[in-house]
Amino acid sequence: GMSSTAMKKKVLLMGKSGSGKTSMRSIIFANYIARDTRRLGATIDVEHSHVRFLGNLVLNLWDCGGQDTFMENYFTSQRDNIFRNVEVLIYVFDVESRELEKDMHYYQSCLEAILQNSPDAKVFCLVHKMDLVQEDQRDLIFKEREEDLRRLSRPLACTCFRTSIWDETLYKAWSSIVYQLIPNVQQLETNLRNFAQIIEADEVLLFERATFLVISHYQCKEQRDAHRFEKISNIIKQFKLSCSKLAASFQSMEVRNSNFAAFIDVFTSNTYVMVIMSDPSIPSAATLINIRNARKHFEKLERLDGPKHSLTMRMR
Amino acid sequence: MHICGLLEVILQGSGSASPAPPCTKVEVAVLLLGSGPPAPTASSTSPDVLACLLVAPPCSGHYADRHSKPSCHSSPFHVEHRNIVENDPSERVSAEASVLSSRVHYYSRLTAASDRLLSPPDHVIPCPEELYVYSPLGMAFKVTGGDGGAKNPSIVTIFAIWNTMMGTSILSIPWGIKQAGFTLGIILLISMGLLTLYCCLRVLKSPKSIPYIDTSDWEFPDVCKYYFGKFGQWSSLVFSMVSLIGAMVVYWVLMSNFLFNTGKFIYNYAHNVSMSDTEFGTNGSERVICPFPDTGDHKGNCSSGISDTAVFDRWWSKTNTIPFYLIILLLPLLNFRSASFFARFTFLGTISVVYLIILVTLKAIRLGFHLEFHWLESTQFYVPEFRLLFPQLTGVLTLAFFIHNCIITLMKSNKHQENNVRDLSVAYLLVGLTYLYVGVLIFAAFPSPPLSKDCIEPNFLDNFPSSDVLVFVARTCLLFQMTTVYPLLGYLVRVQMMSQVFGKHYPSFFHVFTLNIFIVGTGVCMAKYYPNIGSIIRYSGATCGLALVFVFPSLVHMISQKRRGELSWPSAIFHSLLIVLGVANVAGQFFM
Repeated sequence: GMSSTAMKKKVLLMGKSGSGKTSMRSIIFANYIARDTRRLGATIDVEHSHVRFLGNLVLNLWDCGGQDTFMENYFTSQRDNIFRNVEVLIYVFDVESRELEKDMHYYQSCLEAILQNSPDAKVFCLVHKMDLVQEDQRDLIFKEREEDLRRLSRPLACTCFRTSIWDETLYKAWSSIVYQLIPNVQQLETNLRNFAQIIEADEVLLFERATFLVISHYQCKEQRDAHRFEKISNIIKQFKLSCSKLAASFQSMEVRNSNFAAFIDVFTSNTYVMVIMSDPSIPSAATLINIRNARKHFEKLERLDGPKHSLTMRMR
Repeated sequence: MHICGLLEVILQGSGSASPAPPCTKVEVAVLLLGSGPPAPTASSTSPDVLACLLVAPPCSGHYADRHSKPSCHSSPFHVEHRNIVENDPSERVSAEASVLSSRVHYYSRLTAASDRLLSPPDHVIPCPEELYVYSPLGMAFKVTGGDGGAKNPSIVTIFAIWNTMMGTSILSIPWGIKQAGFTLGIILLISMGLLTLYCCLRVLKSPKSIPYIDTSDWEFPDVCKYYFGKFGQWSSLVFSMVSLIGAMVVYWVLMSNFLFNTGKFIYNYAHNVSMSDTEFGTNGSERVICPFPDTGDHKGNCSSGISDTAVFDRWWSKTNTIPFYLIILLLPLLNFRSASFFARFTFLGTISVVYLIILVTLKAIRLGFHLEFHWLESTQFYVPEFRLLFPQLTGVLTLAFFIHNCIITLMKSNKHQENNVRDLSVAYLLVGLTYLYVGVLIFAAFPSPPLSKDCIEPNFLDNFPSSDVLVFVARTCLLFQMTTVYPLLGYLVRVQMMSQVFGKHYPSFFHVFTLNIFIVGTGVCMAKYYPNIGSIIRYSGATCGLALVFVFPSLVHMISQKRRGELSWPSAIFHSLLIVLGVANVAGQFFM
């Protein structure tokens, strides 16, 4: 078959050393951070990262512009290699950084490399650690940075988010990023709505498989808790961590009480679905059969899309 | 957070895991709220986990979100008064509170327990006034008092440090000044004070320069273990033991001394015996004696020739019998499991020191000053200003200014941590002034024309006869105080040694009893054969000071600077010089 390295598209997570990339990756992808690996200072993430999401996108993490001259030299010599085949560039800025000029300089050199090697890549900028800024100044500071970044990024278009691991902004930013990477997301949403209405569900969520970020959802009535997506994501990721300790992998879950029943199950090759039924008289078996039938339909939906989308390039 | 009823969780794994049984799950948010102040003796404490829930009104909409209502309070965790539970059992939880709790829960799974990387910073957690304890039965109670640890104002911390440092070495300072010479003694006292203060600051700052690890409950031996591994851990323990056991031996000798003198005073008072012809000293109302006039030999005890006191003298002897009588009193106290009872009596130490200062002032006023400056030659009554025996003073001072093994714990309860350096310096200044005052006054007031300055004893109270009332009171106070501190020291030795060797504070009565026999035995032997507290203090002081004052703090500082790439030549030279000084201090004890 085809060589796997040539086909793999990358998601680059870059930023200055200490800007919070390792924490971010750990939280989004539920990776355990071992203390010893961070004692060396810079994170050196290799091409053989085991984190895959959205099909066969590989997450690569690079420190950009630290004091380590070794890192800089390595970076410049491996430049083309690093920036080839990039689907997404996510650049992280520390809002508290005192070296704004330098940060922008490194960001621009990354953009140049992207323009040369992967001009179709999508660029996202995260202004991170916003919890360290006073609440009343956050919007102002973010707007300033966003303007600067948009200006610097021309001709590429960059989307900016302000994030912090201590509020919902990180989750929402990554959800938006993933949402923009799904090629046929509007179609998925329409089909999801139909599916939900047919099975008389209260709410149906579609998660990305690796990160449990909510790609799309349908609800038939107003829900009270605005943060429920992030909470469910956290709970399932904790459960996945526990399962991995037993060398088991998580496949599906049913939670039921007198008021509701919730079903979490594998859906397509890249997604999980969560169905919430508030009518307890409907037996589980019925819902599970419905989910199984819908699965076939949605898989066909994915396969129907054009060959250039990475979601369809699966390793056989 | 809602209390969900019985949930059935049916797991369908990939086949390798067996299905779990149905379980009852009540969701409670758990926040780690730091650890309480550990006892100075405990080697490791686990953090206190407070199960609590953040209670707040539902109207929060602070974060722009199309599902939430617009904001009506500026702080998302403000609680309306009617929601605070007294009789009303209803509780309300805001979305922010429950999602923060969910995040903290999740993030804690991603790193090791001691790793601070994903711990919630202070500005994310609401202040203690807004935290409530949530009972799963549905009531929420406000957390009353207790903000994670006792916080003392600076003045209390300074006093605690002064109180801890003021030990029995105060009794040896005049002798030390005499050994070094008056001028050189004063210079050395000030210099040693500054040096040990600098090393103490290094010790205090050492846990903070360790990256990535939560060092909030570390003491200096833990820092040594981090930098030097097992060797560091064991050697800092051994040297700490040297100082503690040295102190306990000194205590035994002094207690024998004070008990002897107290008994003698009472006997002489009851039987109207006068000791003035048997002891060589001044005449007059303020009598100062020279117990060993012509020899430097401190062994033995001159017995009087009077026959009626011979029996008393045989059964009440400073070196032959009293050390053994003390065993009956003190050995049982050492075997207590907990020393908290004795910790109540620390105020006695303060009273004793204050009384000693008053005593010294009174004696100086009554005796007047007798100072003559002979720079390098010694005369019949005076000692030179600069003497070669000065290492004996530095040895005594190392123990006098020693607090390095517990300074981190003492300063932890300082309310304004940013003032730590200032407060420690003030404490050292006060300690130095106290020692200087006592040492200079006794030395200057020592009546030199009839007596030689060389007569100043390592325990300056020995220079006063047992019939002196003021000094009798001082001896009794000190005796009582030492009886209460001795078990505390024994407890510290036991806890540190037993934790390191056996892992528990109290492995069994047999272990503890053996250790106590060893300590008491050492004390008794020293009291019988070599009751010179000046020597004991200087040897143990210089030895433990070598590791814990000079070598380890300097090495740790240099290594941490090197790791951060900040080690400069002046710093390296200065700290290496400190290490050399520490070694020279020990060498000087043996050769001078």
